[in-house]
Amino acid sequence: MNSATTLRSILGALALSAIGATGAWAQEKITVPTEEGVAATEVPADAIVVNIAKMKYQTPELTIKTGDTVYWINNEVMPHNVAFKKGVVDEGEFRGDMLGKDEAYAITFNEAGTFDYFCTPHPFMRAKVIVE
Amino acid sequence: MAFPREATPKYLLLIGATLACSALALGTAFAQGTPTPQPEAPATAAEATPEAGASDVAGGNGDAASGATAPEDAATGPTAGQTEGQRGAAEAAAALAAGEADEPVILTAPKPDARRVYIQDPAHFAAVTQQYVIDGSTGRVIGMTDGGFLPQPLASTDGSFFAQVSSVWSRIARGDRTDYVEVFDPETLQPTADIELPDEAFRFLVGTYQWMNALTTDNKNVLYYQFSPAPAVGVVNLEEGKFDRLLEVPDCYHIFPASPTVFYMNCRDGSLARVDFANGETQVSNTEVFHTEEELLINHPAYSPQNGRLVWPTYTGKIFQMELTAEAATFREPIEALTEEERADNWRPGGWQQTAYHRQSDRIYLLVDQRDEWRHKAPSRFVVVIDAKTGERINKIALGRDIDSINVSQDAEPLLYALSAGTQTLHIHDAETGEELRSVKQLGRGPQVIMTHDMDS
Ligand SMILES: [Cu+2]
Repeated sequence: MNSATTLRSILGALALSAIGATGAWAQEKITVPTEEGVAATEVPADAIVVNIAKMKYQTPELTIKTGDTVYWINNEVMPHNVAFKKGVVDEGEFRGDMLGKDEAYAITFNEAGTFDYFCTPHPFMRAKVIVE
Repeated sequence: MAFPREATPKYLLLIGATLACSALALGTAFAQGTPTPQPEAPATAAEATPEAGASDVAGGNGDAASGATAPEDAATGPTAGQTEGQRGAAEAAAALAAGEADEPVILTAPKPDARRVYIQDPAHFAAVTQQYVIDGSTGRVIGMTDGGFLPQPLASTDGSFFAQVSSVWSRIARGDRTDYVEVFDPETLQPTADIELPDEAFRFLVGTYQWMNALTTDNKNVLYYQFSPAPAVGVVNLEEGKFDRLLEVPDCYHIFPASPTVFYMNCRDGSLARVDFANGETQVSNTEVFHTEEELLINHPAYSPQNGRLVWPTYTGKIFQMELTAEAATFREPIEALTEEERADNWRPGGWQQTAYHRQSDRIYLLVDQRDEWRHKAPSRFVVVIDAKTGERINKIALGRDIDSINVSQDAEPLLYALSAGTQTLHIHDAETGEELRSVKQLGRGPQVIMTHDMDS
């Protein structure tokens, strides 16, 4: 019942899976450069960005390529995050750091697939990343 | 998991125990203050009472032993009539004088009727909680059940059982979490079913809203709400004693069953969702939007599964009414619970369970008082009674004290239940006249939810 809430625990879980030796996990589905949000000013100018405002992810459906990194930037004071249900990016759930105004959070997608996500305290905020 | 309900019969056991224990038990389990005369108590019993060592019960006003008092605004003291504690002492003394032996037994509660009332005490978010089973006609506590964290109480419409959806942890408030549905026999109060919910189907932990969980109209399934990670409704099959499945629903809240497989929810977009889960499928459709974003619907609507009437006030006392059937929701013309003058004078609804609906008379009861706009959870001292059909004001009852929750019994001459979380007291009024008849004290730490069986049709 433990939740993989940080990069470390996700990597730990993956390492354990690998030791489990079925070979089912060829690579991590996602990697997170930093566990905590960073200032929006640190987001590279050419980055793929999903803005969060007015209780919505402004790009509800985003299509990217394998290996791309997506930056979420919160434009309002209402705190938001990016979370995945159990089984989407890991066996457990994944809960990204809560972002204040003008904070950003990055996730690199390493595998093709459709990744539905939501905001932890606002389950009605939903969107998806399609990795091709 | 094991049944942790042994404590309940023990309270009842004490009641039938020795004379000294009887007085003690009355203090523990029978917190009530009925000042009604009990003429059937024999005179000889009253004489024998001091010898039975219960003089503080018979000689005083009953407070010390029964833990209860008569209503402050009613006649008090021994002259006002015999308290429950005095009656018990007199009976025990008479039994002793007659040479009757004391045979301790586990009692059963009387058969449920329309005037039985359940008081759920969420205890200000404590890890364990209690529910009091009370006979509204007499104001006697007739039993108790234990619950975990913020349990959601449920009562079958026919009185055949009551139940709760609850949560416990392996180390009181931490460790492994277990969510479960527990069904109780209404007379023995023993659990007749204990059904675990799977981890991925955990329920919503929230201040207890009466309609966040519900029984289907055939009383065969429990429907409970899940908030996170996504809005969902869990179905628990009581006939088979097992968790059935989690239904994916839109961004909607509360559960109002209209048939064995159809229920409605209130959605963020301002509409109702109709959910049909027959034959292992989930079909969802939405009604028209029936209120604006500025019209804030409170967390405590009244609903009668018996006639499908949903009564939903806003922060200002505007009341939306819907008729819910298996097929569709029909919206009635909204009514105003408060007059224009009252609204100009800062009258607004407020409290916890602020709305009650009496099905037979088609009347709405709403807790109101003068208050600031953002003091909507503070208690109220008045109840307005409204004809649900015409919107006409029938009565404005001054309760005389701060009240957080109200409900009514569904019999032809209803009782108005007025519960104070602040004083942990249930005040029982005549719903027609508003007069207070009796009260029941010492109901936990913060009792908030009043539930009845609608079984008198
Ligand atoms: Cu959010």
